[in-house]
Amino acid sequence: MIRVEKVELNLVESLKRHVEALGEAFKQAIKPDRVTIEYPRERRRYPLSFRGFIIFNSEKCVSCFRCAQICPANAIQMEAHSKPYPSIDYTKCIFCHFCIESCPTGSLNSSKIHDVAFRKMEEMVVSANMMVKLPRILKEEKFTVDVIVKDKYWKLLRKKEMDDLSIPPIKVEVPKKIVTCAEPESCLGCRLCANVCPREAITVKEIEVAKRVVSYVLKVLTEKCVGCGLCVRQCPMNVLKLEVVK
Amino acid sequence: MEALVISHQKQIGDKMLEGLISGLFKIFTSNMMNIPLIEPLVDYLMQIPLVNLLVALILWRPFFAVIILPGLVGLLIYLLWIVYWERKLTARVQWRVGPIEVARPIRGAIQALADGIRYFFQEAIIHREAHKIYYIQLPILAFIPILLPLLFIPAGNVVGIKTPYGIQLIVAFIALIPLFIVAMGWASHSRFAYIGSLREAFMYFAYEIPFIIAVVAMIYVYGSGDPYVAVEKQNIPGAVLNPLAFIVYIIAMIMATSRLPFEIPEADQEIAFGPFVEYSGILFGLVMTLLYEKLYLMALLFVILFLGGWEGFYVGILGDFCAPLVLFIKTVVVISVLVIVRSVYARYRLDQAIRLGWTSYLTLSIAALILGMFVGVLV
Repeated sequence: MIRVEKVELNLVESLKRHVEALGEAFKQAIKPDRVTIEYPRERRRYPLSFRGFIIFNSEKCVSCFRCAQICPANAIQMEAHSKPYPSIDYTKCIFCHFCIESCPTGSLNSSKIHDVAFRKMEEMVVSANMMVKLPRILKEEKFTVDVIVKDKYWKLLRKKEMDDLSIPPIKVEVPKKIVTCAEPESCLGCRLCANVCPREAITVKEIEVAKRVVSYVLKVLTEKCVGCGLCVRQCPMNVLKLEVVK
Repeated sequence: MEALVISHQKQIGDKMLEGLISGLFKIFTSNMMNIPLIEPLVDYLMQIPLVNLLVALILWRPFFAVIILPGLVGLLIYLLWIVYWERKLTARVQWRVGPIEVARPIRGAIQALADGIRYFFQEAIIHREAHKIYYIQLPILAFIPILLPLLFIPAGNVVGIKTPYGIQLIVAFIALIPLFIVAMGWASHSRFAYIGSLREAFMYFAYEIPFIIAVVAMIYVYGSGDPYVAVEKQNIPGAVLNPLAFIVYIIAMIMATSRLPFEIPEADQEIAFGPFVEYSGILFGLVMTLLYEKLYLMALLFVILFLGGWEGFYVGILGDFCAPLVLFIKTVVVISVLVIVRSVYARYRLDQAIRLGWTSYLTLSIAALILGMFVGVLV
């Protein structure tokens, strides 16, 4: 608890305070410490960890749905293209970028664009092919401002240059994985894995002995499997496993 | 016969007009400004009939003092500057940007001009309850006590009316301005305006007496109410001769023109510009600049009394124009520094300001008076 005590003001003390206040005013008038950035005419240089408009690389995407599942605002819907690709509803998006961090292949990436404008509400649902490249940027600024913080004091450094608003994608080392069945004898033959697989890489074969279904064999087509792990999550008996292919 | 009479009358009329013009011309040319810089131009223009009358009028010293510098034109330039500067300086100290969008390459420097033009074309609303006649004429009448002191403010040998009681007359006319402000508040017939004019009346008594005492102290120092004597005796500036009067005068300037911390009559946040709350359009433009004009007059007197008046640099090529220019520059610099108080202080309550005015401030002014008497004997 901070207790504020009453200040004893005599003539000398109050004069001192007046001089102090006016001195500070003159100091600020000559060289103000203000950190105002005149936004449309100059832009702050944002760090590479900036959470802005989301860029999508369809070549890397494995359609694993993790982005859609992790989104806390439920802004990501998977849209049907050649594969299911994410589309982002910017009316809902809170720019937490959980989708980017959860993406196993680094196909989603951030950018430094924070001032995205849409003409209609319907346009705010941005489909995957709209996110492939940076949107059209109208640059009004002539200066890029660096904010330097040193011992709690802020300083602005203006440079006459345009900042590149794209962020280089994070390189994600994705080891090639395929799914294998560790305990074939425990398989129930529920076909959940086959149903959930986006690439139709899993087929379930029944083994019949004397016209009775004895057990099931999962067959994984290695060339089709992308190792997204959706089937691993679905399996009720936890017999599926992802294995790294060397 | 009739034609003859008419032509005769016409001749008499022509002669009278000629006599009048030549008489006026003689008056004007007898007391003309001598500016070597524009002398070739003046010589050329003086050869053209009627134009020479106009040129002679403009360069006639009393006219030049009242209308050009330090008079009306100077006042206008000063107004355009100070309204912008005060806003900009306050913004700078308070970490804002201030007016910037009008003429961006010069950082919004013509904001005051743009505002003035806007006031001109804006509708001046006269509300139903206002006392219509006084409501309209008072902002215009308030120019009388603004313009009258300009007659007596000398700058070198450029002066409107030369009198040994110049300083007293200036103070007397400046003291008239609050009456008009109080009357405006009364004519507005609004509760805010009423409170504002009441506060103005209270503040008037708080600062006017110490202000007059401070001026009297300086008159004691110089031994005369003549601005010429005052400037002549300032080998050491008046601010050093009587520092107490100097401080009292500065506080009086802040109090009299409603600058913070004494912005009590026009407390924006409490009573929305006080006595001027109902005015709009060009009438508001007139009343808003009223206190800036008062500040200008008080600062002119301040420079004459404390900072050596028009004595400063002398450039031969400017001739007589040099003294008004020095006076004007000094005044504008003084005001430009003074307006910084607006950016750091908060507003006093009315009772605090009046207590300050009637106790320590009055005591300080009387001390200044006594000091002035002693210094007056020595100087």
